[in-house]
Amino acid sequence: MKIPLYLAVAQWTLLFAFGLLLIVVYRQLGRMLHKSDTAAPLGPALGSTAVSLEYSRFADDTVQYLTPGDGQPTLLAFVEPTCLSCEKLVLALGTAEHAGELSGLRVLLLTSSPKSYLKVSDAFRATRLECGRILAQATMEAYGATSTPLLVAIDRDGVVRAAGPAIQLAEVRTFSRACLLPPAAGESIPITATAPLDENDLEAATQAAGATEEGIVR
Amino acid sequence: MDVLILCAKTAVACLLIVAGGAKLSDPASFASTVRLFIPFRVPWPWLSAIAVAVSLGELAAGLASLTLPAITALNAVVFAIACAFVAVSAVGYAFHRGRSCRCFGALSQRKFDAAGLLRSVVIAGIAAVALPHVGAPALRLDATARVLLLAAGGLLAVAAFTAARARGTGREPEPEVVTQ
Repeated sequence: MKIPLYLAVAQWTLLFAFGLLLIVVYRQLGRMLHKSDTAAPLGPALGSTAVSLEYSRFADDTVQYLTPGDGQPTLLAFVEPTCLSCEKLVLALGTAEHAGELSGLRVLLLTSSPKSYLKVSDAFRATRLECGRILAQATMEAYGATSTPLLVAIDRDGVVRAAGPAIQLAEVRTFSRACLLPPAAGESIPITATAPLDENDLEAATQAAGATEEGIVR
Repeated sequence: MDVLILCAKTAVACLLIVAGGAKLSDPASFASTVRLFIPFRVPWPWLSAIAVAVSLGELAAGLASLTLPAITALNAVVFAIACAFVAVSAVGYAFHRGRSCRCFGALSQRKFDAAGLLRSVVIAGIAAVALPHVGAPALRLDATARVLLLAAGGLLAVAAFTAARARGTGREPEPEVVTQ
């Protein structure tokens, strides 16, 4: 029986495709194993002193210099407007801010994206929290911001009290407590899990945070 | 010459299957890239739907091109998709340079750069090679062969999906709190 030319070619191509896929997977598996051995953890080391940073504030396009440890507890959120989880975190921060749960805290949204990227996200457009662009890659590295979202809680003395990914309101509360109420020795702040914000909640939450179809309510 | 044309045709079909399968493993991530190319505000559910539709479209085009080689119109469709890749790469290179393109979902860490644009042009070139007509005897497949090719294409998509899913990072652990 004679095999059609197309079938013979397709078989060999598929074989090569499977082989290539196998190589890609093995290569990435090797990288992952290497990374797990050598990669730095997400966020700065707990208990370390937070480094100063420069950022371009989007509200007035001025360069600001932040010095943690100046007596004001600080909550830093490393976020990107094009990241869905970051949008959820910004909404959660907005909800906490609206409820007064962040009073006494300096809350700062930091991104590596230019200001023009804010327009793609309702949450970023609507937020009343201060937002700016990190000016130096070294700052991102110093804070271990290898992926977003990343929340860093810094107390009034400039010590990193909590650091890690966060999306939910409960996690925001945990981080804000870490900034404001340093626990006694040996204690820990319990983390309570709640249902995450659903994608369908985004629009409602955004409106609650102050956005309307016409623009941002100030 | 026929071998070259058929190699190009099946190679691009496999590429579309792998790209579609890999993207389907993480539509939310691909939706972030889709968002870059939409100049107005679009809700996330819509973006996710567009991302899934694009992924399914690639997958369907790849499977159709692989299993129905006698339909020459599919070659033009695949070439049009490849041209769309070039356009997306060019726009990405112009306006979103350095951003992840997620062309193969989590399987690749490629970004919008000159090399990515060149790759897209090469893919479009290969798709163009597959455009010429090949004699009917070379493309004559019976039902069993079609089913087997479809199964192999499906398996390739599942393999790409699984590999990309395994590569994805997923949800990070709960935050850790330091105490004094």
